[in-house]
Amino acid sequence: MSGETTYYSILGLPSNAQPEAVREAFASHVARFPSEAQDDPEYQKLLQAYEVLNDPDRRAIYDSLIAEMAPSPLIVNIQLSRTKLPIAASPQVFYLLVEVNPPRQSAQLRRPLNLCLVLDRSTSMQGQRLDFLKTAVELVVEKLAPEDVISIVTFSDRAEVVQAATHLTSRNAIISRVRSIRASGGTEIYHGLLAGVEQLQQTPLSQYNNHLILLTDGHTYGDIQDCIDLSVRAAGQRIGISAFGLGDEWNDNFLDKLVSASGGQSAFIEDPAQIVNHLQQRIKGLGLIHARNLRLKKELPSQLTLQYGFKLLPFAQPLEASGSEIKLGNIEGKGALSFLLELTLQPQSHELRLSIPLELTADIPGRNLKDQTFKNPVQILVTANPLETAPPKDLVKAVRMLNMYRMNEKVWEEIEAGNVGVAATRMQHLTTRLLEAGEIKLAQQAHAETERLTRVGSLSPEGWKRLKYGTRAMIGETVRMESDDSV
Amino acid sequence: MIQCKECGATQYEGALFCSECGRFLMEDSHKATDVLPFSDYGHRPPPPPPDDFKLETTPGIKTITFVIPHSRHRHMLELSGQIRVGRSGSETDDFPELDLTDEDGAELGVSRLHATIQWSNHGLVLMDLESTNGTMLNNYRLPAKRPYPLHSGDEIRFGDLLVHVFFD
Repeated sequence: MSGETTYYSILGLPSNAQPEAVREAFASHVARFPSEAQDDPEYQKLLQAYEVLNDPDRRAIYDSLIAEMAPSPLIVNIQLSRTKLPIAASPQVFYLLVEVNPPRQSAQLRRPLNLCLVLDRSTSMQGQRLDFLKTAVELVVEKLAPEDVISIVTFSDRAEVVQAATHLTSRNAIISRVRSIRASGGTEIYHGLLAGVEQLQQTPLSQYNNHLILLTDGHTYGDIQDCIDLSVRAAGQRIGISAFGLGDEWNDNFLDKLVSASGGQSAFIEDPAQIVNHLQQRIKGLGLIHARNLRLKKELPSQLTLQYGFKLLPFAQPLEASGSEIKLGNIEGKGALSFLLELTLQPQSHELRLSIPLELTADIPGRNLKDQTFKNPVQILVTANPLETAPPKDLVKAVRMLNMYRMNEKVWEEIEAGNVGVAATRMQHLTTRLLEAGEIKLAQQAHAETERLTRVGSLSPEGWKRLKYGTRAMIGETVRMESDDSV
Repeated sequence: MIQCKECGATQYEGALFCSECGRFLMEDSHKATDVLPFSDYGHRPPPPPPDDFKLETTPGIKTITFVIPHSRHRHMLELSGQIRVGRSGSETDDFPELDLTDEDGAELGVSRLHATIQWSNHGLVLMDLESTNGTMLNNYRLPAKRPYPLHSGDEIRFGDLLVHVFFD
């Protein structure tokens, strides 16, 4: 906690306190002073704090002043695989590893959560899946703070609002509604998402951390584009989306796309017993947001092209890099957010100095900052005789893990293109690399899939998902281990 | 461009790991600056074919798979006699077994009769037939009219058209 005295700390308020809260706090503090204490310096301070914070114009000026005085709310650390590249007649590649941290002394301010759970209740959810899901939801309901808002929507062929947006005042009533959920019908995700977003909109979005968590075990048909369009609109209103796939029948690429607009998480839950863990982990992260809606402006010198972006922390997730901004999601709690970029340099014939602006934009709720930009320009030198320097170790490790994830993705691409032979060779290579990395279980899976490819020319859906999310989790774990070491 | 020492795939310089086989590429990088596929490196002659070389009529393998990364197409061909590689012309009705017309063969510099692939006492061999733009095997430019042994996974360039070849 920072030891600085601010008008907020005098009144014992968070910096995003509502006007009513300012008045209430002043009333309760002022009651401590007897009426003859007009000259008491403490009283004078209190009065001054109240006068400033109670006047919207003066408060706005004061907020901007403390924001300037405070240390930068984001600490950005950038590593490059090379800072000097040779002049070459063919394209070259280099990598950037960007780590964004909250300052050590950031005030941990929990912003209330506006959460909507959108749950698949199609027939295939019957039994264990639905049972574990209900238990998980009950635990979430019990863990949330009284000021949080929750809504619960189920969907099959249509959507139903099981619990309309409400504060956590009567938990038992919510839990009994959750228990009444029954499985039947098909899977139409769009209706569920739409009803979920509508529930979130019942609450003033600017004052909450708004998040929708989708849990599904099936494919949605015909409404994929509607879902993605909706997720983009929701992201524009500061509604984040995370998505969890259960079992092996859901569409992984769809879930990745669905969460990319808001920088949310998509994950694979193989065993229904893990639903509880995944959901709690996600909600824990959402409760402690230091920076929200972090995004990177995709502004590059014309000689450079962004090939690939991948978020490593707080969870491993491919980044959607096609737009003008890359959505990076939130910085959760005191943990870092990090991502890796792969860039190519066009063939060059002359010495050249290039500047990559790396401009980040984020909201810092704890400091009442919206759309704050942070510039972190990086220089690259293209020169005739660059000295070879070894790339940073962390970066090499991250690229190594990421390369395995991408090898797995390419297997799928080759199969789609009908090149089963190439796909099998790739999968075999991946097996070797996983073994070298000590990932025995994943290596065994890759080996089994290689055999399957050679024998029947396809992958098993559960094996494919295990490898995709297994290699993805491996990236996150490696990077997390690294950052723990350095502390 | 650099070449992965393990699988032969062409990678951008500065790549840390081979995108095809996952090999760590940094050890190679210092000596591998900017070797283009058709530069000096590619003109070095391949090892000469063995003295006791002779073609055989009964192949030891049945099928060969050709994968064309450019179009993502896959061609599976039965190996009976020779496989001619080239383009079908409108004026002749002679179709090469591996017809690269639809793979943008003309634009990418594939000759009508570019090369042949045949079975020999040393296994499968590739021979350039004095093509206009030449044939490269794993980035070695092959001298014309000389058989050169092929291995599964090899990378062949007919002119500028890259083809991967696979067989059992």
